[in-house]
Amino acid sequence: MRVSRRTVLIGSTASLVATTLRAQQASEVVIGVIYPLSGASAQIGVDAQHAFNTAADIINTVHDLDLPLAKSAGLPGLGGAKVRLIFADHQADPQKGRAEAERLITQEKVAAIVGTYQSAVAVTVSETCERYEIPYLSADNSSPSLNRRGLKFYFRAAAHDEMFSAAMFDFFDALKKKGQKIETLALFHEDTIFGTDSSNAQLKLAGDRGYKVVANIKYRANSPSLTAEVQQLKAADADVLMPSSYTTDGILLVKTMGELGYLPKAMVAQDAGFAEKALYDAVGDKITGVISRGSFSLDLAAKRPSVGKVNDLYKARSGKDLNDYSSRQFMALIVLADAIDRAKSAEGEKIRASLVATDLPGERTIMPWKRVKFDETGQNNDADPVLLQWTGGKFVTIYPAQAAIAEAIWPMNKT
Amino acid sequence: MLTTATIVQSLASGLLMGLLYGLIAVGLALIFGLMDVVNFAHGEFLMAAMYAALGCSVFLALDPLIAAPLVAAALFAFGALVYLGIVRFAVRAKTNAGMVQIFATFGLAIVMRGLAQWLFTPDYRSIPSSWIGNRTVSIAGIFLPLPQLVGAVVAIAAFAGLYLVIRRTDFGRALEATREDAGAVALVGIDRNRVFAYGWGLGAALVGLAGAIMATFFYIYPDVGASFALIAYVTVALGGFGSVFGAFAGGIIVGLVEATTAMILPPALKSVGIYAVYLGVVFFRPRGLFGSI
Amino acid sequence: MAAASFAERRRRLLLIAAVVVTAVAALPLFVHDVYVQNILVLTLMYAALSQSWNILSGYCGQISLGHALYFGLGAYTSTILFTKYGVLPWFGMLGGGVLSAVIALALGYPCFRLRGHYFVIATIVIAETAYLLFLNWDWAGAALGINMRVRHDSWETFQFTRNKLPYFYFALGLAALTWIVTWALEDSKWGYGWRAVKDNPEAAESLGVVVFHSKMAAAAVSAFFTSVGGSFYAQFVSYIDPDSVMSFHFSLLMALPAVLGGIGTLWGPALGAAILIPLTELTRSFVGGSGKGIDLIVYGALVMIIALARPQGLISLFTRRPRARVHE
Repeated sequence: MRVSRRTVLIGSTASLVATTLRAQQASEVVIGVIYPLSGASAQIGVDAQHAFNTAADIINTVHDLDLPLAKSAGLPGLGGAKVRLIFADHQADPQKGRAEAERLITQEKVAAIVGTYQSAVAVTVSETCERYEIPYLSADNSSPSLNRRGLKFYFRAAAHDEMFSAAMFDFFDALKKKGQKIETLALFHEDTIFGTDSSNAQLKLAGDRGYKVVANIKYRANSPSLTAEVQQLKAADADVLMPSSYTTDGILLVKTMGELGYLPKAMVAQDAGFAEKALYDAVGDKITGVISRGSFSLDLAAKRPSVGKVNDLYKARSGKDLNDYSSRQFMALIVLADAIDRAKSAEGEKIRASLVATDLPGERTIMPWKRVKFDETGQNNDADPVLLQWTGGKFVTIYPAQAAIAEAIWPMNKT
Repeated sequence: MLTTATIVQSLASGLLMGLLYGLIAVGLALIFGLMDVVNFAHGEFLMAAMYAALGCSVFLALDPLIAAPLVAAALFAFGALVYLGIVRFAVRAKTNAGMVQIFATFGLAIVMRGLAQWLFTPDYRSIPSSWIGNRTVSIAGIFLPLPQLVGAVVAIAAFAGLYLVIRRTDFGRALEATREDAGAVALVGIDRNRVFAYGWGLGAALVGLAGAIMATFFYIYPDVGASFALIAYVTVALGGFGSVFGAFAGGIIVGLVEATTAMILPPALKSVGIYAVYLGVVFFRPRGLFGSI
Repeated sequence: MAAASFAERRRRLLLIAAVVVTAVAALPLFVHDVYVQNILVLTLMYAALSQSWNILSGYCGQISLGHALYFGLGAYTSTILFTKYGVLPWFGMLGGGVLSAVIALALGYPCFRLRGHYFVIATIVIAETAYLLFLNWDWAGAALGINMRVRHDSWETFQFTRNKLPYFYFALGLAALTWIVTWALEDSKWGYGWRAVKDNPEAAESLGVVVFHSKMAAAAVSAFFTSVGGSFYAQFVSYIDPDSVMSFHFSLLMALPAVLGGIGTLWGPALGAAILIPLTELTRSFVGGSGKGIDLIVYGALVMIIALARPQGLISLFTRRPRARVHE
């Protein structure tokens, strides 16, 4: 039988397409996740794993949520390729973070890296990613200097400390307009990168906006005792106490305040320890009315069902609600996967270009952000922070007005 | 901003804290100071004691104060086991005995932290309500938190007790003699391993007391011992190895110096005062204040 | 079989060292994986650091657990000179080394009169003070640390973006250099003096003054090389902060290879580093991802077991001399 050339052509093209499709469908996109999985901040790393796994699950299977990639299984732009996460432990050491990043890039051939909680480690990990031309998505590093190093492969979807602190001061300005007396501030910050960045931002804003800083107390992180420090706070008796503390110090701070009989008129915290369930389990009853900045409002679930559903999925894995950190970690992976999907490729430079082109409306995220769009330094300037107040055993969004579901209770409740 | 009231409060808090440091260090004073055996896992012993107190609170619904003797007993057993199972071999080494002790116990410390993370997760725990927790006594406007007060009283009792044990009992004498010359005491029928095992047990039990009291007001997690360990070593060294009273005095001095330094320097540097005092003291008295070793 | 003469033994050691160095230098021909190369660089660096520490603490008997002071000083000196004044790291390294040596001498004078535990705690406390000072010193970056942007490869500024081999060879050179210095000290007036004092404390009385001066020299040499190691580290990682270069944990890590390999021996630190560093890295990378602390348990248990099973160090497994009785 004579096989026409056309038949052969069509036949071979068809089989070529079929094999390519099959190859694509069998492929996966590997993403590296570098977090502290041992040592003092190990719990953060463990919670982060749950957040990332929740996001990966949503991407890889079909969910009825208004989030990018939720309604499909895998990445449609890559033929349904699944996202596979590889976790690595940096032990809060910049050198180890770099070693892990190199290992993930050269051995595991990850398409991108997400991390890292500690800003010091983010410095070296992002530099490494830059050298290998792999995108680095900063999920929860809040140091403002990170996106100002001229890196092309650095992206941060969430806010940084200057944005967070600005929100606090906007809130103060708004309260003052309503007649509240807010003149003096007490800064209480630990002495590592987080505390330093936070207090620098707050000092500058206080100076710019005419607030008097009557106490600027820098303390040693993980001190066995904070009695002397709290004494100074008590003596200063500022209108607002502004702590920048991790969980351990936050718990000790509140306990010591109780021991010395000091309850400030208001507390507005730079998150960290004051976003963690462990702190509120330990001392929540003593600080009803404390306000913390955050990126995430659980009560947004009332207006946006996806928030509640994602929270349930996360809670099923971790036993806790989403908080400022886990929510940012979750979103980082979603944003990254969305960019990879649009790039239709796992190549570093293509993903980077796709990230640059990101323009995700806030409603399609679980965050109270206006949208996700990166500027030329890789920062998303529309990652609007919120302020949350701890009352009635949970966080209530009180600022900004469009996200708030209640008025702020000011000054703090005294029990 | 430094009023008399502030200064008095600072010193009072410093004193209480110092006695608490002393309580944490008294076990080390016995092991390190009197038996001359390095224990780099001292902070982890404290951590274990705190978890034990937590366990008693959660599973047996016992207030930490009631649980304290139980915790002490548990730590006694643990300390003796650690000696018999691990430290005994380190002490035997003729070469580099000091270094071997340091690193064998350093390895133990890391294992204990890893175990704690594996068994209890790294999450921060606390005992939310206890008899003395969250209570504070106010005398003439000076606030004295109840847990630290109780800790101070227990510290004084513990030091007094230890002093009597060392000076007045056969065991105490055997302990000192064994440290001096284990070969000689063997001739008199004293088994070094037995004496030291009891010594480690007792030292650990004292840490157990400290841990039980600390659990009423401090957070608990696998690395919690680390911040206290260095202060404990400096306390014992400042007071002088071989002297129970020295460790006691060392604790008080450390607490007061820390409080005073925090008033003068930024609080982030308050430890520098302690270190400077230590260096100053040993410069003039190379064996600490009251040391005999 | 006739026993080799002392001089022959000494020469043989040198020959063995040359063979080892050549073999290690050839490794990059076979190892191309960046991760493994990283482990090799770290191993060599720790071998050098531990050997420097060994000079003071092993041979001289002055146990220091505060050597992170010199490491950090080296890292900060060369980095600050480079980032603020444009001084090339090669010179900054030497400057840092000299500074550290001077400080070691200044500290040695009051500290060497302390015995045993008091001395150890003094070293810890001094290093902690330096750590706190740097953590609060804004001019030196304080807690934020100092970041060195590496935009292109350059031997002049000793910065390389992906290539690990220059760092590898530098670390190898440093390790070899510290080894040679130790080898030279073994058969020197100083070395004999230290050994005499260690074996016979009463001799310390009569040898006192002589030994004191040589101890000071040992401290300076030890500090110098540790400091150079610190500068190297800064160039290798391109980011330093007090936690990564001046912490107490680092002091322990510098001593650990020597203790496990054989304190006061020539090959102990290198052997210890060769075992410990790959172990640390591999357990973290392949067992650590669970968040359960298993890697810590493994690592700690191994440290304990080696320290107990071989108090004289693992090197004793290789010596052909009749085993000295080291246990009672």
